[in-house]
Amino acid sequence: MSKTLRLSFSLKNTYRVNSIIYALKQIPLIKKLIPGKAYQSRGLKVFANVLFWIWEVLSTFLWKLVYFLLMFFLPMSFLGISEGTEPAAFLHLLLILSAIGAFLNTYMFDPTKDKYYAMILLGMNAKEYTLVNYFYEIIRLLLGFTAFGLLFGLLAGLKVWECLLIPLFVAGVKFIYAAVELVRYEKNRKVVSGISQNVARLILAGVLLLFAYGLPALGIMIPRTISIGIMGAVIFAGILSWWKIFAFTQYHAMYKEILFGAMVLMDPSAQREIQQKQERKNISADTGISSNKKGFEYLNELFIKRHRKILWTSAIRIAVIAALVFAGLLVVTVAMPEEKAELNELVMTFLPYFVFIMYVLNRGTQFTRALFVNCDHSLLTYSFYKQPKMILKLFRIRLWELIKVNLLPAGVVGGGLALLLFASGGTANPLNYVIIIVSVMCMSIFFSVHYLMLYYLLQPYNAGTELKSGTYGIIMWVTYIACFVMMKLRLPTFVFGLCTIAFCILYSVVACALVYKVAPKTFRIRS
Amino acid sequence: MKFTIEHVSKSFEKKQVLKDIDFTFENGKIYGLLGRNGAGKTTLFNCINGDIKTDGGKFSLEVDGTVRKTEPQDIGYVLSTPTVPEFLTGREFLKFFLDIHEDRIENKKTIDEYFEYVSIAPEDRDKLLKDYSHGMKNKMQMLVNIIAEPRVLLLDEPLTSLDVVVAEEMKQVLRSLKKDCITIFSTHIMDLALDLCDEIVLLNHGVLEVVDKSDLDSREFKEKIITALREDGNE
Repeated sequence: MSKTLRLSFSLKNTYRVNSIIYALKQIPLIKKLIPGKAYQSRGLKVFANVLFWIWEVLSTFLWKLVYFLLMFFLPMSFLGISEGTEPAAFLHLLLILSAIGAFLNTYMFDPTKDKYYAMILLGMNAKEYTLVNYFYEIIRLLLGFTAFGLLFGLLAGLKVWECLLIPLFVAGVKFIYAAVELVRYEKNRKVVSGISQNVARLILAGVLLLFAYGLPALGIMIPRTISIGIMGAVIFAGILSWWKIFAFTQYHAMYKEILFGAMVLMDPSAQREIQQKQERKNISADTGISSNKKGFEYLNELFIKRHRKILWTSAIRIAVIAALVFAGLLVVTVAMPEEKAELNELVMTFLPYFVFIMYVLNRGTQFTRALFVNCDHSLLTYSFYKQPKMILKLFRIRLWELIKVNLLPAGVVGGGLALLLFASGGTANPLNYVIIIVSVMCMSIFFSVHYLMLYYLLQPYNAGTELKSGTYGIIMWVTYIACFVMMKLRLPTFVFGLCTIAFCILYSVVACALVYKVAPKTFRIRS
Repeated sequence: MKFTIEHVSKSFEKKQVLKDIDFTFENGKIYGLLGRNGAGKTTLFNCINGDIKTDGGKFSLEVDGTVRKTEPQDIGYVLSTPTVPEFLTGREFLKFFLDIHEDRIENKKTIDEYFEYVSIAPEDRDKLLKDYSHGMKNKMQMLVNIIAEPRVLLLDEPLTSLDVVVAEEMKQVLRSLKKDCITIFSTHIMDLALDLCDEIVLLNHGVLEVVDKSDLDSREFKEKIITALREDGNE
């Protein structure tokens, strides 16, 4: 057993340390500091190892803290739990949430890479490996739940001995669920995996969550003494279940079934294959599609027509939904005149919010991905396609195309907002209507330029159509955060609108200049 | 016509894959490029095709006594995994390609004549390329590279996964082309290299070297190649 523990730790440690080094090597600037033979470097391995252990210790406690805060502390303050019933409410939540956790977070039946490497590839003893690692996870669970179960339990008014039952109860629920599944496997060879079972489990979890939070909201909860009784019974049954977990002999056969299917899906080349098949499905097989154009215009027109489903159909769908939302809001202004003033004020200060909305609505990611996977991935291997004048010609055609796709929903949103402003009482300065429409359209153009520019400057995909640019990933995150932060901004529509229009024009000019200068050198398949 | 590689080097981090390569390829010959796995054959091709920047050195062409730097349109590159735009039909791909190259192509033929040249059946010509078989995609890739009339044609193991009939058709196409261009053919299959190529060039220790065939029969020549590839540092 101790050898298995040592080996499994060493294995888990090796691949996690290598993953940390790999992740560090993807970060611009930092990757230059990492030596070529990083995976052989003892110093770097020790550093990554220290990071791994810090995370192992932190995660033992951190997730439990987050769990108690998000699932107990915050909801209890919103549910309006009456004074004196906090201990019962706390135990009510604990019972139901632990039942959900037992089948959603089993440790034992999760198809993880380390299990695949150890039991399938390296042929380690499946039973020993499972028991050792399961026991390790349970110890981490006991430590985390003892610390924060005690803290939050005492805050909720439980007694110390009741708090100390919490970790034992949570472990007991997990043991019972694991034992039931093992018995089920022995009887009918069915393992806990597969999408249909996941869906069923998610539905069950949803129903239980309703019971967990819905009942206390109505003032109904499991009485404290009954909860304590259930916990005691579960701990007792958990001890009995541990015997089943220990005595079970078919771990190897069971994991073969669990891991093989899951590993096919985890294998990067298999994932790529699935993704490529999916991308190919997006190509319309309509034989009536044709074009009378020539050269790159011909190529582009056929591309757009054959990808109508993922480009225009989605944009039209978004535009229709946006139109319905605005129609609904217009009905509200007519039916509830008392809400007009509030709506009017909202429209006049809410424009920054629409930066995030336009970010979400823009089709840049889907457009550039389809461009690469179904078109540039193949054509970039031909020398004519990499000539600067060809790259720039196609960039111009594509930019116009993407702008058109994104402008449709943007036009509806901008027009809808202006209409809403008018219907909710209007504005003293009629220029505000124009500013709203133009600025929303400018935001849409900005995102079109932004995504296509990044695609041309960084070309983030490799020959296997995998996203491989760390810089691209970081810029995507920065874009998201910047748009998110905009939601917190409250500025008069006129001021923000003018600033947006100026910024978008300036950004578009600079971005296009950058593409013209740099893209002929960077628009290549990443090696 | 001559294609010359002068002092070309390429390293990945600390590993030097191409070491100050100097070599001249001549018109009218098919060169078989042999090397062990990881020797740098694809890297060399990617450097010639401009997909990877070299650390130093240059590629030049001597045409009618005038030496100049190679241009992208001088190079044709056929990959082992055929890459064709899958959203186009075979006919559309050829039309697009002919549109783009209309100023360059001498003796332009009709699209159907081109299809005939690589034996693509009439019923397949208007199918989307995503529905083509591996061999048909390979033929299309080869065809557009041929239509562009490159001066240097690079082939990175293009026949490895083809069935015997298609492979034989492709070999015939390559033989028919050789008088007008320099063909460099990378392969792992020794018999294929000996059957098709006029010269065997080894990429060994990051440098190119010709294997002299004079006075050797086929078996002895094979042994000489294997021995050269097995030499120290290659195991």
